[in-house]
Amino acid sequence: MWNRAWHSIRWCLSLLTLSAAATAGAQQGTGTITGTVMERGAERPIEAAQVTVVGTRLGAAVNAQGAFTIRGVPLGAQKVRAQFIGFEPVEQTVNVTAAGAKVTFTMTRAAFALSGVVVTATGEEKRRAVGTAMATMDTMSIARSAATNPQQLLAAASTGVSILANSGQPGAGATMRLRGVNSVSQGNNPLIYIDGVRVFNGNGPVATGGGQQSSPLNDISPDDIDHIEIVKGPSATTLYGTEASGGVIQIFTKQGRSGAAQWSANISTGFNRQGHVGSKDDETGMWFNKCRGPLNVNGNGVKFEDPSCPASGSWLSDGPVQRFSINVRGGTQGGTTYYVGGNWDDEKGTLPRSAAHNRGLRVNLGFAPAKGLTLAVNSSLAQNASQGFADGNSAGGAALNISRGTNSNYKGTGCSDATVTCVNNADLFRSDVLNTTYHFITGATLTYQPVEGFTNRLAFGYDNNNAEVNYVVPFANLRLPLGAMWQTLCHRQMITADLASTYRRSISETWSTSTSVGAQVFDSRLYSTSLETDNFSGPGYPTLISGSTRLINDVNSQRVINAGFFGQEMIGWRDILFITAGLRIDGNSAFGKSFGLQSYPKISASYVISDESFWPRQWVPSLKLRAAVGSSGKAPGAFDAVRTWDPVAAENGKPAFAPNQLGNADLGPERSTETEWGFDLTALDNRITLAFTHFDQQTKDALIPVIQAPSLGFSSSQLTNVGTLENSGNEVTLSGEIVRRDNVKLSAKIGMTTLSSNAVDVGGQTLTIFTNGRTYVQAGYPVPSYMGKRVTNPDAYATPIYETFGYVGSVFATRTYNPSLTLQLFKRYTIEALGEWQLGGHNLNAAGYQNANLRVWRPCFAAQAALVKAAAGDSSALGAFTAMERARCTITSSERDYALWVEKADFFKLRSITATIDLPTKYLPGSRNASLTISGRNLFTKTDYTGFDPESADKTDNTFGRRDYYTFGPYKTFLVSLRVGF
Amino acid sequence: MTNTSRFLTWRRAAALAALATMTTACEMTVTNPGPIQDDALNVASAVPAIVNGMSGNLSLALGGITLRTGLASGELTAAGNFADEGFYYAGTFTGLNANTDWANMQRARWTSESGIERMKTVLGTGFEGHADTPRAYLYAGFANRILGENVCTGVIDGGPAQSDSVYFQRADSLFTRAHALATARANTSVANAALAGRASIRAWLGNWTGAVADAALVPNTFVFNAIYGIGTSRENLYLAEQTITRREVTVWGTYWASIYKDPRFPWDTVKTGSTLTKGQDGKTIFFRQTKYKDLGAAVPLVKGAEMLVLRAEAALRGGDIPGMTALLNTARTLYAGLTPLTAPATTAAAWTMLQNERGAVTWLEGRRLWDQRRWFAAGTSTFLNGRNKCIPISDNEYAANPNLRK
Repeated sequence: MWNRAWHSIRWCLSLLTLSAAATAGAQQGTGTITGTVMERGAERPIEAAQVTVVGTRLGAAVNAQGAFTIRGVPLGAQKVRAQFIGFEPVEQTVNVTAAGAKVTFTMTRAAFALSGVVVTATGEEKRRAVGTAMATMDTMSIARSAATNPQQLLAAASTGVSILANSGQPGAGATMRLRGVNSVSQGNNPLIYIDGVRVFNGNGPVATGGGQQSSPLNDISPDDIDHIEIVKGPSATTLYGTEASGGVIQIFTKQGRSGAAQWSANISTGFNRQGHVGSKDDETGMWFNKCRGPLNVNGNGVKFEDPSCPASGSWLSDGPVQRFSINVRGGTQGGTTYYVGGNWDDEKGTLPRSAAHNRGLRVNLGFAPAKGLTLAVNSSLAQNASQGFADGNSAGGAALNISRGTNSNYKGTGCSDATVTCVNNADLFRSDVLNTTYHFITGATLTYQPVEGFTNRLAFGYDNNNAEVNYVVPFANLRLPLGAMWQTLCHRQMITADLASTYRRSISETWSTSTSVGAQVFDSRLYSTSLETDNFSGPGYPTLISGSTRLINDVNSQRVINAGFFGQEMIGWRDILFITAGLRIDGNSAFGKSFGLQSYPKISASYVISDESFWPRQWVPSLKLRAAVGSSGKAPGAFDAVRTWDPVAAENGKPAFAPNQLGNADLGPERSTETEWGFDLTALDNRITLAFTHFDQQTKDALIPVIQAPSLGFSSSQLTNVGTLENSGNEVTLSGEIVRRDNVKLSAKIGMTTLSSNAVDVGGQTLTIFTNGRTYVQAGYPVPSYMGKRVTNPDAYATPIYETFGYVGSVFATRTYNPSLTLQLFKRYTIEALGEWQLGGHNLNAAGYQNANLRVWRPCFAAQAALVKAAAGDSSALGAFTAMERARCTITSSERDYALWVEKADFFKLRSITATIDLPTKYLPGSRNASLTISGRNLFTKTDYTGFDPESADKTDNTFGRRDYYTFGPYKTFLVSLRVGF
Repeated sequence: MTNTSRFLTWRRAAALAALATMTTACEMTVTNPGPIQDDALNVASAVPAIVNGMSGNLSLALGGITLRTGLASGELTAAGNFADEGFYYAGTFTGLNANTDWANMQRARWTSESGIERMKTVLGTGFEGHADTPRAYLYAGFANRILGENVCTGVIDGGPAQSDSVYFQRADSLFTRAHALATARANTSVANAALAGRASIRAWLGNWTGAVADAALVPNTFVFNAIYGIGTSRENLYLAEQTITRREVTVWGTYWASIYKDPRFPWDTVKTGSTLTKGQDGKTIFFRQTKYKDLGAAVPLVKGAEMLVLRAEAALRGGDIPGMTALLNTARTLYAGLTPLTAPATTAAAWTMLQNERGAVTWLEGRRLWDQRRWFAAGTSTFLNGRNKCIPISDNEYAANPNLRK
């Protein structure tokens, strides 16, 4: 092993030596190129655009005034290229003399840029050569966004991207899906790469009682992000290998650039506001909006008082938000660059004591030690701490207790009237759900380009994420008088080694090739403990040894290694047609003993037909046709292949064994194969852009948790490669400039996504994903589906007729529309609005199910009063109520069913509105640029869903199904931000 | 750079890629030190923990059965939010709400029976003389008894449906082996438990003579418990959790709530201020059972008092009402504060007395549903009229067992 490593080091050293010698020999007379880069139409400088001298490593970034300077340029004719994400690249040839040269670039904004580059598994590729759809969020749209974390950035940002917010807990992570669902059991989270380093793509641990998980992705400050690329389906992610079938999100952080230090600061302040909670038919907002008054009464007429209700009469209050970030970047002409950024964010939620505090530091360094050799070292450290309230399926939960009115678990004293039920819900906010994470990511990427066209990239990454989650119920709690404390410690590590080499060359004037090979190793480790202590001796903030009972509930220690290599060949014809074929071969330590290496092939084609001579470019200036077929996979869990027993305690603390899982030696990854085709076009002088993609995914050997006959002892499900799932859809992005005048520019964009999933074969079973969530996978229905007891005459004014078990609806949305509008006035004022419709999905309003039974669901009060009268013999009382209303509000326990509370979760949300003013720098002496932004997120919601929020889901329930089990919904955020560059 | 040197560089890069792949390929072993691989149990030193596991799985199964069949048989009233418990209380058993208990009971049976087979292989000739072998047979016997008393249909190891009596027949054999091996090792506790267990299932198989013979050998004060603990949540008694930590079930509304301070079925009221606390549903008055006072309280599997009541039932079946009364009164002497009963004048009254006394002695021990079921079949009780009598084959068993068809 050591010999091999030493050989590699010697090889690298020899390359460095040779390269340094070559650089030394290359010194000769030079000049300076200066110039400007402006946006066509708006005539605004394109700050941060990159200008390079083609064929050299010389370059500079454009400053806030649109100017750039490149020194040390060899004399003579030089081709200079300006490029920036979101714009068509442009090139000019200038003659550099000792006196210098000047050049002016005007760049055109485009929804897709045929000549731009994107980063794929093999490295940078020309966008025109890529045969799959890729979405990019550029620097400008990120800078203008009202988002406070990457998941908010991604929400509604692109077709095929679904972000469901889950909760109104500060710091809670969202559920992310790219192109829907293609796995039942192995998760559907996309892989996350940050500056080429793969990081853990799951969520943090769930606090007992907390109901929500943090997302490590959100540890990246949006202010540090340069751009984001979204790779959506298996046909595009083939070379990323096993685990990539859920798509890939690549985040590229800001890098240093040659020139003097440039500082940027962002100061934001604002507040979070909740608005009305739940159904508009409940004017108390489930007693969150109004916690005192005459409406504090349950369906049986029993009144309650809560003397701990805040003086405002509402549990809700605006939570202040403060965000600060500052960064500096610069570098030498010799190629050493730096970017240092830090952020300090504090926010409070809309319920008492809920808050989040995020601190981050990023240092990105770039070196060019020799000609053709660059080294990038990118590191970030984030410390996030959130303090929340118990939520979801927790007896101490805020939503559970407050919305239950008379039935709160926090019965108390101090009420003015001895005849009413007295509750003290403020006591539940004395409990803490604390989530603290320390997240360190570092990566080093060595790029060596010995000759033009031959690029080698070697990257090492280390992702280290420590999370400590505590749920502390203090002594003298009204529900648990002696108190309790749960703690989960979770330490995740991901070590990455990634090597890719690409050799591009022109065989002739017509033909070109690009050959790539690469290998990756991902070493993923998890160490976690789940501890509990109960029954404290007395007051005081407890530790794990404060209780008389101390339990170790779970310990987890896993290591999984995934290694593989790939090869890819791309053949180009006249820079118009590109055919790419690739193969990825993977091994994974979680595969069963009988499984060997897995291979994933792909082939794609890209045809820029608009570059053909026959094409009418006056009508359609650019059109790219593309198609791709490719496979990717998902690995089973670390230990799914073997029969195991759990070490447990029995007979009051004696060591014992209990069956864990049956095991399956033939277990292998599930394979998703996707066919994708579409086109990108611009029309009407590039004022209209249209991108369309159709995809068909089929997942074979789907890893299905197959129920074992309980009479065989192992009652837990065993993963088996048995199923076939299908998932297809369309993605359309249409954008256009409606008005393009000197002082007024109005552009609009709409993204449309349709998704259709179907379980083709799930081993002849109806797979239970989550019993109490009524979530199943059954052949012939969407994946997953809500199923169960349903009313077959829902709208009839009659006695409900029940079907015992039937299809109720798709869990996830089947149609998504993301409209956005941008208005620019006088080149200084910009207003942007972004909305989102999600249609066709459902959510289980479990709070309604439970509260209706408890007679504390106000929308059921009238129906239940009528049902009581009917039970007493007055059947006419029910005349005004439909069968569905009677079923949901039933007063007969045996008629209740969760499935009756599965509701359409269609919604429209105004995701964000931002208004930005570019401030004249004369008002801020010493500044390069400045802008003031007023923004709001989630300002408006339109939905018929009656639970907390159509996006609400309790993360402790199930990561695949969704259930709104007393899950407090997302809030609105208003911010005023001042950005200053100096 | 010449084409040749480019090619050489390209070759070096390719070689490096291959090298990296080979380097990684040498270390692909998954590590996960928590769960224990099946082969690791094939050693003699694992036997005590294997048998402890049999006990633990039996307790787990009994914990759920105690609560849910308590609801189904009139020992408890549903007072909470759990849907399944509501169905059990309403006397409605479905394959869906049977999933948990069916799996727990079958796991208890399978781990015991398969564990015995593993022990035979691992211990070889030392099997019968091993200290834990009698316990293994005993737990296997009780696991079969729980199934026989509560489910409607027999299913063994993924096989076809058969009579529920198959569990009693297997239990008879297992208790017999447990008794013989325990006696040989002078393990009185296990020997008596095996006798008591066998006495009950012999009665259920119609062999009342054999049942009385076994029961008579069990000391009146003998008790053999299913063990629970507070050290881990898996060891908690589910019934206690739902009446101490939560208020999902209540004694209120049952026959037992009409009698206060009987030491055999103790319960009390809980008040918030001067108001009686309601159950978790906010509607039903909460009377808390106090037979099990903490999450680690033990539940009797067999006891001498039950043997006396069993013999009393045998006497009644033989028409010996005085004999029945005498045996019941002997059982009552085992509890402080109970006065003797007077022999009833009629057979019907005798059955009522017998059923109440047996219910009191075995209250919340997971036995009542079977008693109600067999008495209903014999026409001596109407409690289960219009209600489901036993737990059906679970939906999961139907879904995964190719030998079963609905």
